[in-house]
Amino acid sequence: MTAGRITMTAVLKSEQRMKANIELSDAELLRRMMAGDEESFTLLYKRRHPSIYRFALQMSGSQQLAEDVTHDVFLFLMKDGRVFDPSRGSVSSFLFGVARNYVLRRFRGDQMAVQFADGEDDEPFDHMANEPSPLEDLTKAEMIENVRRAVLSLPERYREVVVLCELQELSYGETAEILGCAIGTVRSRLHRARGLLLAKLRPSREQAESVSSAVVESARCFA
Amino acid sequence: MNCQKFESLAAELARGEMMEVDVLVDARAHEAECANCSSRLRDEEMLSRGLHALAIEMNSLQPSAFVEERLLATFRQPSIVVPITPTRNYRPYWLTAVAAILLIVVGLVAMVWRGSDKPKVDFAVNQPTPEQPNEIKTPKNAAVPERDKSVASLPPQTKPKRHLNSRELQARNSRTIRPESAVTNHASNEVATDFMPLGYLNPASLQDGGQIVRVEVPRTTMASFGFPVNMDRYNERVKADVLLGVDGVPHAIRFVQDKRSQ
Repeated sequence: MTAGRITMTAVLKSEQRMKANIELSDAELLRRMMAGDEESFTLLYKRRHPSIYRFALQMSGSQQLAEDVTHDVFLFLMKDGRVFDPSRGSVSSFLFGVARNYVLRRFRGDQMAVQFADGEDDEPFDHMANEPSPLEDLTKAEMIENVRRAVLSLPERYREVVVLCELQELSYGETAEILGCAIGTVRSRLHRARGLLLAKLRPSREQAESVSSAVVESARCFA
Repeated sequence: MNCQKFESLAAELARGEMMEVDVLVDARAHEAECANCSSRLRDEEMLSRGLHALAIEMNSLQPSAFVEERLLATFRQPSIVVPITPTRNYRPYWLTAVAAILLIVVGLVAMVWRGSDKPKVDFAVNQPTPEQPNEIKTPKNAAVPERDKSVASLPPQTKPKRHLNSRELQARNSRTIRPESAVTNHASNEVATDFMPLGYLNPASLQDGGQIVRVEVPRTTMASFGFPVNMDRYNERVKADVLLGVDGVPHAIRFVQDKRSQ
């Protein structure tokens, strides 16, 4: 009975501390984490790991690589979190920068070429394309899949800008901070990347439009 | 607005970015007129919708819980995160203090050494003038005459300041920079030539003051300034005053001769 009360008290205290930590900034959580506070680490991980994981996934198209990069990023934070300088940017930007370095390192080191033509390594979004749905949903799923493939086929310098600005919906300033370049460079790269994406997506869109018009025509024939 | 300008704005329009109202109105007007640009904008908007849909689809994706477990297990290892202990490191303060003491000692030694080895240069400015005779040094313990004791006990009185008229002020100001022309030196037993510039004399360089240094130069130096030289005495040396700027660069020279030797 007494042991149960002690356990309950400990759990309540832990929850109270967690609630108090939720209001803390990332930088403060990082500071506490570096002082050995596990709750701060857990909270920082819960707060920031989804975006880091998605960034790695959108950059690589591989779920396994994205998980590895997420793990490596937070492992780096544990070991070398002291190198974070608040005057140079936010913790979020710092983590994105580390993740970008790990992704690019994997690209270089493993000679990993993202293959899109065969579509063998497309585990993350298989459910989207194969999901049985009405025609609009199918068209939408195809469009998303086409966009995803087009993004992955971009050169790295354009892909990372599209991922950060369009998919992560970061501002030009934050993206420039992460990439370590000027805001003007981000804008020009994004402009160029969108042009490339349009060029890649135009044939598939025309094909989709022709398919949809054929469906309409056959429907009319049946009518 | 032309098509080129519209193309540069199409992506921003499609992304719904903020822009100036005038630019937006012009762009919309051009879109209504130009079919190509209208098509381009539709493509950009479709791309934005596609990217937005992709972003929404991916929002639900998460790494496996195994990643967090591995990280937590790593975090609990004592060698990974070494807690920062609030111990203060006094070493830098000690080093700073020792460095400061050493600096002071070295400075004092250097001052003493320079004071003992300083060559006695005969500075013209330090020469006593007849109007200001050397003070008669009295021993500290010497008895003060009775008449002076009363004076000595009084507090020292400051000499009342006398207001200078404009001519005196002008003379005083010009004294520091302007070379005196063929006048007797403040040591009245000497005569001197005008100050002759050594190279380009920039008066601005003497604004911050200067220094006159008495030197001895070979008599033949006078010939280089156009003075006649007695060749029978060419190997003798003559006195000269060199006007140095605050930067130590000589700016002018004048030759000095004792009245006795004239």
